[in-house]
Amino acid sequence: MKTIAFGQYYPVQSPIHRLDARIKIILAILFIVCTFLCKNILCFAALIVAALFLIFMSRLPLGTVLRSIRPLIFIMIFTAVLNLFWTTGETPLFEWWRIRIYEEGIYSAVFMVVRIIVLVLGTGLFLTYTTTPIALTDGIESLLSPLRVIRVPVHEFAMMMTIALRFIPTLSEETGKIMNAQKARGVDFSEGGLIRRAKALVPILIPLFVSSFRRADELAMAMECRCYRGGKGRTRMTVPHLHARDFVALVVMVAFGAGILYLNRLGIGYSVP
Amino acid sequence: MATLTLEQVSYVYNPRTPFAVEALDDVSLTVRDGRVTGIIGHTGSGKSTLVQLLNGLEKPSSGRILLDGEDIWARPKEMKKIRHRVGLVMQYPEYQLFEETVRADIAFGPRNMGLSEEEIAVRIDEAAAFVGLELSLLDKSPFDLSGGEKRRAAVAGVMAMRPEVLVLDEPAAGLDPRGRDTILQGIRRYADATGSTVVIVSHSMEDMAAYCDDIIVMAHAKVYLSGTRDEVFAHADALASVGLDVPQITKLAQLLRARGVELPQGIYTVQAALEALRPLFQ
Amino acid sequence: MAQPFIHTKDLWYSYREDDAHSTPVLRGISLDIARGEYVAILGHNGSGKSTLAKLFNAILEPDSGELTVAGTDLASPELTEDEIFALRREVGMVFQNPDNQLVATIVEEDVAFGPENLGVPSAQIRARVDAALAAVGMSEYAGSEPHRLSGGQKQRVAIAGILAMQPSCMIFDESTAMLDPKGRREVIETFERLNREQGITVLTITHYMNEAARADRVIVIDDGRVLMDGTPREVFANTEALLAAGLDVPQCTALVHALRREGVALTGEPITTEECAELICRALEVQ
Repeated sequence: MKTIAFGQYYPVQSPIHRLDARIKIILAILFIVCTFLCKNILCFAALIVAALFLIFMSRLPLGTVLRSIRPLIFIMIFTAVLNLFWTTGETPLFEWWRIRIYEEGIYSAVFMVVRIIVLVLGTGLFLTYTTTPIALTDGIESLLSPLRVIRVPVHEFAMMMTIALRFIPTLSEETGKIMNAQKARGVDFSEGGLIRRAKALVPILIPLFVSSFRRADELAMAMECRCYRGGKGRTRMTVPHLHARDFVALVVMVAFGAGILYLNRLGIGYSVP
Repeated sequence: MATLTLEQVSYVYNPRTPFAVEALDDVSLTVRDGRVTGIIGHTGSGKSTLVQLLNGLEKPSSGRILLDGEDIWARPKEMKKIRHRVGLVMQYPEYQLFEETVRADIAFGPRNMGLSEEEIAVRIDEAAAFVGLELSLLDKSPFDLSGGEKRRAAVAGVMAMRPEVLVLDEPAAGLDPRGRDTILQGIRRYADATGSTVVIVSHSMEDMAAYCDDIIVMAHAKVYLSGTRDEVFAHADALASVGLDVPQITKLAQLLRARGVELPQGIYTVQAALEALRPLFQ
Repeated sequence: MAQPFIHTKDLWYSYREDDAHSTPVLRGISLDIARGEYVAILGHNGSGKSTLAKLFNAILEPDSGELTVAGTDLASPELTEDEIFALRREVGMVFQNPDNQLVATIVEEDVAFGPENLGVPSAQIRARVDAALAAVGMSEYAGSEPHRLSGGQKQRVAIAGILAMQPSCMIFDESTAMLDPKGRREVIETFERLNREQGITVLTITHYMNEAARADRVIVIDDGRVLMDGTPREVFANTEALLAAGLDVPQCTALVHALRREGVALTGEPITTEECAELICRALEVQ
């Protein structure tokens, strides 16, 4: 049987895995705020230490974590170059034609790259790697539930997410089957120019749409037969409880934020605006 | 019109990972020219993998697949030609229908082969006749047909390519008795009229007994039994030992034999049982 | 006599293609099914058997005739939505395609879906889910993802999902048609056990003769009418009529009929292989 790699969730036991999904969403947001609060070299050093601590606490293999940065290399280089050339300071370290590079430019380039890396690692470690998609969906639903007062369809949104997650593997498997069937009827997906390739998709997309609609229809009927009437009056099997560890994590994160603010005020070395 | 041979073919899913699954293990077999061969086995016995290998949708991990003595992977760039020679009808083929009319859908394969419009028209009528699809249905949308008709239209779409070998994965799955008989009779009619080699994959012993000349039994990624229908069904006890549903009538014959009734081996149809019992009652 | 669990009298239903055209699918169905029965509804595709099941569960509304299920009058124009949902809790339905009835990404979450919709308190849902999964033999897969299960396992999860709503009746709408023989056996053995041990009324809609033969009662639907209604033995005695309705008969039954046609004296209508062997042996001893 082919296993379809799905999502980034990495199933191991770790202190971070055990945290409540809602708390992890809040932690991730706070962590993002912290990365933007960082101004000077001390802060960024603290940030790097924090990121390493998170990797250690998540029990994830370093390689897996670092791989998540790879798609962002281009953006990082781009940002670094921009900061390098566009930040002006007092005395240029290097000058050639109209290009002047200042010490400040180097600092802000490095800071930006660190910020992006830590940002991606942080959200990954708190959310996608350590939280199942379903727990994440429930967490978002729970955090957004106050919005129900202003008629935001929070439950419906979460239900859509759940169903989408449930059917992604089913539909990707089906796409493979339809592709094979049409290949057997002589379609070649690798041949010809752009238009020809686009046309070759029609025999895939139409059956896939038809089948998706049929599935949606049948699923709706099955859900009605299981007494689904929307979010009203619905209970949940697992009501998440906050544990001491969740509060500890929250306190640590707030303390970390306060620490960053304190380090900013020390004003050591170059400080990004 | 063509012979398919597997030489020591193995196939492993997810090779070199902890999830590696050996779907086929050193399988050698021959699908004989101009015969209807049934491949039977449990889910997971490797028969579905075998189907994907036969027309080059998957490449064997080791071993060779020969079409008339020629390795189908000798020139991977010409795999399209191999797929024209070995036609494949996948499970629930009605899910591949997409054209506006049944006629256009049946024409899809032949058109991809680059045939002339006159030739395509001839082939559509011929294929529709094989599967017993009424001509009045050809101008309807395939999505307006009944389940059994959709299935027949999809099978006709591959028959119209006139492959030398026609491979069908569970062509009768989910159909009611009438739908099942119609499609299997259509396949038999096609085999008899064109002399093509046909491979039917199924888990219904009763269907295999009624429609196939040769039978290959797969179990645990290997060929467990193979031979003509009579040869294979003579080993009914061996079949039962790999948990295959032998025809009810074969089970009956076993029970009767156990109670001392003298019956020959290899009873797999009601007709055969009747012939064997008749003299005992006279 | 106690009130039947399902009662229909002269039940009609038509599919409306557009405003002007409609095709009658059910043409006057009358039958009564008692609580705790194990009934197979047999018919070829398009005979109306699935439509009938959808009427029992208030997915469709009848055109005319009487239809009472679990004490609820489903033909009543005053039927409220609350009554419909109360009925659906009582009468669960398992469909054909195992993929298209599982909602959640984890097996136990899916089984909990029904009770959650009913507003069952959280602690009780846990107990119900565990019991339902145990009843279908899927406890060890509680934390699995549905798409990694076999067809038969998915259908057992679907059954557990219905079971967790604690219904008194379950309808299986061709729930075995897409499965391989092993999956089919798993599903049949599961619902037969539920019928036997928990007294759940089981209606299985099928075109497989061998499955219908296992039920206590077989109702054959053809062209929107009840063609036959009786024990499997009584029904399979009408070999010719079944074949004319586009159905099979079990091979043993066909053999006994063929022998009888040739003048062999065989008394009784065997269904199982064992019965048939017994019958033939006895007839041979007499000679």
